[in-house]
Amino acid sequence: MRITQGTFSFLPDLTDEEIRAQIQYAIDQGWACSVEHTDDPHPRNTYWEMFGLPMFGLRDAAGVMVEVSACRKAFPRHYIKVNAFDSTRGIESIRLSFIVNRPPEEPGFALVRQENDGRRIRYTTAAYSAQKPSGSRY
Amino acid sequence: MAPDPQAAPAPADTVDLHALCADAGVFELLDGLDRELVGLAPVKTRIREIAALLAVDRARALLGLDARPPSLHMCFTGNPGTGKTTVALRMAAVLHRLGYVRKGHLVAVTRDDLVGQYIGHTAPKTREALKKAMGGVLFIDEAYYLYRPENERDYGQEAIEILLQVMENQRDDLVVILAGYKDRMDTFFRSNPGMSSRIAHHIDFPDYSADELAAIANLMLEAMHYRLAPDAQGVLREYIVRRMARPHFANARSIRNALDRARLRQASRLFDASGQRVGRDALVTIDAADLLASRVFRKREDSAAQS
Amino acid sequence: MNAPDEAVQAGAKKRYAAGVLKYRQMGYWQPDYEPKATDLICLFRITPQDGVDAEEAAAAVAGESSTATWTVVWTDLLTACDSYRAKAYRVDPVPNTGPGTSTPQQYFAYVAYDLILFEEGSIANLTASLIGNVFSFKPLKACRLEDIRIPVAYVKTFKGPPTGIVVERERLDKYGRPLLGATMKPKLGLSGRNYGRVVYEGLVGGLDFTKDDENINSQPFMHWRDRFLFGMEAVNRAQAATGEQKGHYLNVTAATMEDMYERADFAKELGSCIVMIDLVVGWTAIQSMSNWARRNDMILHMHRAGHGTYTRQKNHGVSFRVIAKWLRLAGVDHLHAGTAVGKLEGDPMTVQGYYNVCREACTKEDLSRGLFFEQDWADLRRVMPVASGGIHAGQMHQLLTLFGDDVVLQFGGGTIGHPAGIQAGATANRVALEAMVKARNEGRDIAAEGPGLLAAAGRWCTPLAQALDTWKDVSFNYASTDTPDFVATATASA
Repeated sequence: MRITQGTFSFLPDLTDEEIRAQIQYAIDQGWACSVEHTDDPHPRNTYWEMFGLPMFGLRDAAGVMVEVSACRKAFPRHYIKVNAFDSTRGIESIRLSFIVNRPPEEPGFALVRQENDGRRIRYTTAAYSAQKPSGSRY
Repeated sequence: MAPDPQAAPAPADTVDLHALCADAGVFELLDGLDRELVGLAPVKTRIREIAALLAVDRARALLGLDARPPSLHMCFTGNPGTGKTTVALRMAAVLHRLGYVRKGHLVAVTRDDLVGQYIGHTAPKTREALKKAMGGVLFIDEAYYLYRPENERDYGQEAIEILLQVMENQRDDLVVILAGYKDRMDTFFRSNPGMSSRIAHHIDFPDYSADELAAIANLMLEAMHYRLAPDAQGVLREYIVRRMARPHFANARSIRNALDRARLRQASRLFDASGQRVGRDALVTIDAADLLASRVFRKREDSAAQS
Repeated sequence: MNAPDEAVQAGAKKRYAAGVLKYRQMGYWQPDYEPKATDLICLFRITPQDGVDAEEAAAAVAGESSTATWTVVWTDLLTACDSYRAKAYRVDPVPNTGPGTSTPQQYFAYVAYDLILFEEGSIANLTASLIGNVFSFKPLKACRLEDIRIPVAYVKTFKGPPTGIVVERERLDKYGRPLLGATMKPKLGLSGRNYGRVVYEGLVGGLDFTKDDENINSQPFMHWRDRFLFGMEAVNRAQAATGEQKGHYLNVTAATMEDMYERADFAKELGSCIVMIDLVVGWTAIQSMSNWARRNDMILHMHRAGHGTYTRQKNHGVSFRVIAKWLRLAGVDHLHAGTAVGKLEGDPMTVQGYYNVCREACTKEDLSRGLFFEQDWADLRRVMPVASGGIHAGQMHQLLTLFGDDVVLQFGGGTIGHPAGIQAGATANRVALEAMVKARNEGRDIAAEGPGLLAAAGRWCTPLAQALDTWKDVSFNYASTDTPDFVATATASA
């Protein structure tokens, strides 16, 4: 399957040129880019691992691409995403977030149903890969 | 970066070099440099040469010839206050106009911005400075301080390694300009041949002549809406000659300091003059007296004195 | 202190002697009055009856929406009546009305109300005060509450949206693009199980949300509990299948507040992230549900059911921008605010004005968008506008250009009516949207290049190509009934 998190996941995987263009757009808006990775792609996993700090004050996407390449080299089998952070008052949150690397296979999620009272069911989305310990999932 | 020569619309296989530069607004920049910076004749010549070289490289690329990006890293040597930072800023603009750097901004750093105080501190610091400079120019002032072989716990070497790598492998992302005293830079390059080999252009910034410094002084005053009284011009020239002979002379910077002190004296003079209202003329004019009060004119020499 | 009209200075004795005085003589018309920062200001568009002069009409509006009655009353003297009186302080003729036009003469009347007149944190009280009485008033042929300036002092008494745009995105982990939704179609008649199927297909195909329609509450063909159970099964299935968070707006509108709480609690129990209510439940219920949503970490979707009865005609009613302001104070997270290019009423400039009311930290005065006042929202969270009604993938470039990223685009018919099925419809919309956002970020001029970009994406995404083909000739071009009175003139600097 293919996890459809991030802004562009219904499009074919972005080329490096396209990634650079999106990062440059974010920099031109004054947003700080950061790189994060994870092997736990649960949709409620808010906190992926940070690969370095958010980069403030950059003018050109090249600096971010250096980090993206380095992260891919270090974690080739992890999900890697680029976030762009806007520190404007009243926002102070992410404005753009897209995946730049995926594991070679994505087994996806099982829906675990726990029958409850009446017709109620408690649902859990469980990643197949999470059955293995972190570091050996993909 | 080279477009397909077969797609080029020019009937003959030719490029108009001047048009290339004119279109990019390069001539305005270089003319601006000529106008706004006093002296620096050899520097200006060098810059024009470099601009021509880059234009030719651009033309060659357009015609499908060898398109490897040229090395653009430079080294500016000279005494303080000779215009190295100013010219570096202009150089960044020229490189941007000709399409060699994408954004054309300048990030100025010294050793302290690149080197850390403890282990593991240096690499992120250096990389951060490099990332901020990407798309433009990284100007490293007094770069030789990166190299302290006498201290084995010094982390400067790590910064040098990272710089060398980026200067070689990311030439289209960043241009590095090193700056400092000529003799110390020479020593630095002898001990770091890798760095030396990556520098494509060495430009030496000669000290200004007394006349040039006088012209600079007048430009500075004009920019601040002051002017010298007619009899003060000669005094200024004399001041400059005397000051140049004294230690710790920093060219244009010393002139700036001197003018600031002259303004202080003018202010005190105007203030102490009793009971008169001051008009425009008085407020904008620096008198000979304001300059003559300098220690430089005293017959008695103070060992640590300069003013 | 501002000096009232001279007539009043004829002495308190004369003023309060029994009889009928003109409103302007009773002190409701004060042309020199400078509104205070703590005053609430209303802009009424009034059409006075023939023979009633504009200032008297404005004064009457001020009077009847604050303290006056049609005759002098001695009990006024028991109050500090000068401060309780609303003050009409400015009257301007409305352009393009009156002699020589097809519209009877209208005036913009500005009325200022003292802060003391309003109960803290109560939209019910605010509306009862402002529109409770004056609109049936005989001396006016027609009256519309056009815009309102709420002082920061009053804004601060409201809690505002329980979630807001930023936190909604953070909860869903979705950034950088509009959100996508679809209303279930047919509007009525699907049973619970069948309904859940449509929800599943839409969500798994690529939508972020699906939606109950406003009249889906609990009817013989589908009881609300069955809809909730089957719906949440579908939502969770789709979430596991795609790895992204999904939601379905469960409509908890009901006959009584108690029923609404029961339904909302069930939605929460089943793990929904969002519930929905209709405007017709009323201001009191809306604020109660807003508080409930905040206590239960739910996104609150507001459907503006019924607003068209009083917002659509320019000369009479309440403008939707005022409704949007009241709803932001009352506290909703999503609000249907118009599409401008779809099947429902909405001139593009006016609609952008509504979006500004929802989304800005400080809504700027902008007459070309019908915004007559600067409205400082005192850091109240921002409302996500919803564009819903007759839009389809072929309009994606227009929608993105008009509305930007912070909007929910809902394609009901445009998803479910796709010739290759609902999933295909959802995928077509999602691909069209992402492709358009990507192109815009790259610096392309999507307003001009849109159709080409969509066609290009259609070449590798068959559902999109089919969607474009099916609906390419659909547009809704009727003259809008509610356009701005002021048009921005091009200046030399533009």
